[in-house]
Amino acid sequence: MYKFPEGLYADIRIEHTSSANYSVQNGEVMQNSETSVAGAMVRVYDGSLWYTSVTNDLDSIQAELDSLAEIAEKNDAIADDPTVKLYEVHKDKVLHFDGENDIRRVSREEREKLVQDYITACIDDSIEEVRKWNAGYYHDHTVKEFYSSKGAEIVQDYQQCAVWIVYEFMINDIPLSGGKQYQSMFFIDLPGHEEEVIARRDKVIDFGRNAVDVTPGDYVCVLAPPVTGMFTHECFGHKSEADSMLNDKALRDEWELGKKVGSELVSIFDSGDMFPHRGYIAYDDEGTAVTETWLIKDGVLTGRLHDAHSAAALGEELTGNSRAQDFSCSPLVRMTNTCMQAGVTPPEELIAGVKDGIYIDNVIHGTGFSTFTMVPSLCYRIRDGKLAEPLRVNVLSGSVFQTLFDIDAVGNDLEFCDNTTCGKGGQWMPVSDAGPTIRVRSLNVN
Amino acid sequence: MQKEKITSLTVVRNIEIEENKLKSFDKKCFRNNSFRVYDGEFAGVQYYLGNIGDDEGYKQAEENLALRRPYKFSLETGSRHRDKTEKEYSDKELMDITREALEYLQTHFPDFRIGGSVTSRKVTDTMQNSLGLDYSNTDCIVDISIDYKHKDSKDISDGWFSLGQRTFDMKKLTDMAENYLSAYTVQAELPEELILQQQYYTYLAKFYHCLNAENIALGTSLLTGKVGEKVFSDDFTLVHDVSDEAAWFTTFYDGEGVVLPEDKFVYIENGVVRSGFADKHTADKYGVPHTGSAGSNMTDIPFNGNVNFKVKPSDKTVKELLDGRLTVVPVIAAGGDFNDKGEYVTPVQKAFLCDGERFIGRLPEFTLKGSMFDFFGKDFIGVGSDKPVFNDYQMLARMQYSK
Repeated sequence: MYKFPEGLYADIRIEHTSSANYSVQNGEVMQNSETSVAGAMVRVYDGSLWYTSVTNDLDSIQAELDSLAEIAEKNDAIADDPTVKLYEVHKDKVLHFDGENDIRRVSREEREKLVQDYITACIDDSIEEVRKWNAGYYHDHTVKEFYSSKGAEIVQDYQQCAVWIVYEFMINDIPLSGGKQYQSMFFIDLPGHEEEVIARRDKVIDFGRNAVDVTPGDYVCVLAPPVTGMFTHECFGHKSEADSMLNDKALRDEWELGKKVGSELVSIFDSGDMFPHRGYIAYDDEGTAVTETWLIKDGVLTGRLHDAHSAAALGEELTGNSRAQDFSCSPLVRMTNTCMQAGVTPPEELIAGVKDGIYIDNVIHGTGFSTFTMVPSLCYRIRDGKLAEPLRVNVLSGSVFQTLFDIDAVGNDLEFCDNTTCGKGGQWMPVSDAGPTIRVRSLNVN
Repeated sequence: MQKEKITSLTVVRNIEIEENKLKSFDKKCFRNNSFRVYDGEFAGVQYYLGNIGDDEGYKQAEENLALRRPYKFSLETGSRHRDKTEKEYSDKELMDITREALEYLQTHFPDFRIGGSVTSRKVTDTMQNSLGLDYSNTDCIVDISIDYKHKDSKDISDGWFSLGQRTFDMKKLTDMAENYLSAYTVQAELPEELILQQQYYTYLAKFYHCLNAENIALGTSLLTGKVGEKVFSDDFTLVHDVSDEAAWFTTFYDGEGVVLPEDKFVYIENGVVRSGFADKHTADKYGVPHTGSAGSNMTDIPFNGNVNFKVKPSDKTVKELLDGRLTVVPVIAAGGDFNDKGEYVTPVQKAFLCDGERFIGRLPEFTLKGSMFDFFGKDFIGVGSDKPVFNDYQMLARMQYSK
């Protein structure tokens, strides 16, 4: 085991990752590869500055630790540092994927057959509008070890796999793309979705043939569950990450716990402890056990997401949200599985209550400043309570300070979206968003 | 059997700043290796992160020939070594730069919370093969990136600026800070005619799809059927450029070892679409010239897509191109995108009114709209010959907006 330096806090994060890629484009194999990488991040903290080193040479970890300790300033009171005091000490091994579920046991032949089965079922050369398609498979499997100078010793694993088909169409002289991706922690979940892929393909073709440009303006919008998931993540989730408000009085006042920040229909929580959703972790990358954190309950701000540094700065509890993309990155405060709680209204009733508005069926990406945005892929006009013609919409936007109050109906159809990847500080994290159909009184549509 | 090895050694040192304080000092060193063997019909490829002996790397690559990854093209030859490093900074020098920058910002702009980073990045890429090809490319820059937030702001960020240089010049950083932070508290109004001023590469993303020779051939590009036609402004020339002066970190060779004359290739010349980009496989498949645009796929055979687009600057400065008109410089324009038709719409959360060189004041939020065919066409004003505001060339074009 490692010899940790005196008068400093230190931790070590070691990762072994294996991945595989297989993709086919218009019948031609474009990628067929397997890779394995190993590396470690070593961190030393002296109470004022972190010193970190990243290495691929796992035999050099002790040397890296010693070298960082030499440039850090010894601090005999490091154990009393507010951040260090909060670090949890767990000795645990959480391996969900070391047996039959280990994705590395899926052979190349099985992976290729999975993709070929989708191609056979879902590629129809008679559809003229389809000019290009890409079908593929991806998986990765990671074992992470965490050791700290306070005595933590944690081993945990994570894996994910995905299969997809993406079509590129040319319809009415306008290029258009669409498709489906299925993401899971288990290979067994990936086969058998061919009919859904075909349904999506045909829906996108119908959209391309019939869509009209939206007239920009403010509209009543009904958001389908995957859109609500991203809305929850972008509109509010990022504002709940406490590293943005450490000593910032304006933000702390704006987001004071107990303040009403939205409609009483809105309740949102984040929890890493939701196996096997995509944002699941047993411990975060500071060795903290994950918890369920209610961020908004009945429209009232009740919590926020923390690493040890932000929890110490704000005098709040750890939540287990300190996450790093991989061994090469320092952890940041990140969401895990973020969910808007379902209501009681059937989704059809939400649409039926709109005389003139827009139904947002799907979304591609979004951003989370005070003016949040979402770029949708498929939208439909709502006229007199019914879905009407497809609409080309470029971007939806709204103010976080207003939009949470504008939610006037929440559906009972909670869905998880388990293929979301969140970007922050140059790092990309697997997360899960979830939510029901919701209705918003006004969003800006362009 | 021919052999080829591609390596990339990256050494990064980074100092993080959080809420006006130094947060961390980070060191990273990565060596990526890709071993390729070719039997005339297929390629075997093996990726390895870290140090590995050539014999072991090539042995694993040979085993991967069983995957039957097709590659029938001749390997390139040639010898060239380019090192663009001007200065390498010690850990102490980097720390001194960070402390000096932070002290300046805190002293002169105490109403702002400062975050960001100072990063030194050195990358050495190499390519060698059994036919004697021997290329190396080294570059080293120091980049300082500053996120700022006004103490009264309810947003999580009010903007950012960054300055990358091979030799660090503190005066350039303080000039940039002065421009951004002094104008922040001055309220300005949107001009009637909106002329966008932005780094030349900001709106080029759609060309990476539209000029892909495969997309042109398959009919999924907005430029399908338009090769040889005049589509854009007379003043708009789009070039792949990895020459010494223009490019950072980009190698002078592509993923197949192809070196272009003068390290450039013109795709759109004075508004006329000349060619799509193609690696050897794409060129062979669709009967078009290959343009040295293979990406260095470390884990598999090369792919089509190594292009580094630049818009050719005019011989006039930004001020001369503007001829007295004012511009709008978006600082945070997050969330928008090009749509399928090539139209661009984005909310602009933070922006400044500018005289071409200095910011005049901060603008209210608005929505920016345009079409790639217009802002590189009838609305294109040009790319200035100088580099005010940013440490980079800037494009000027008229765009639509709504409040």
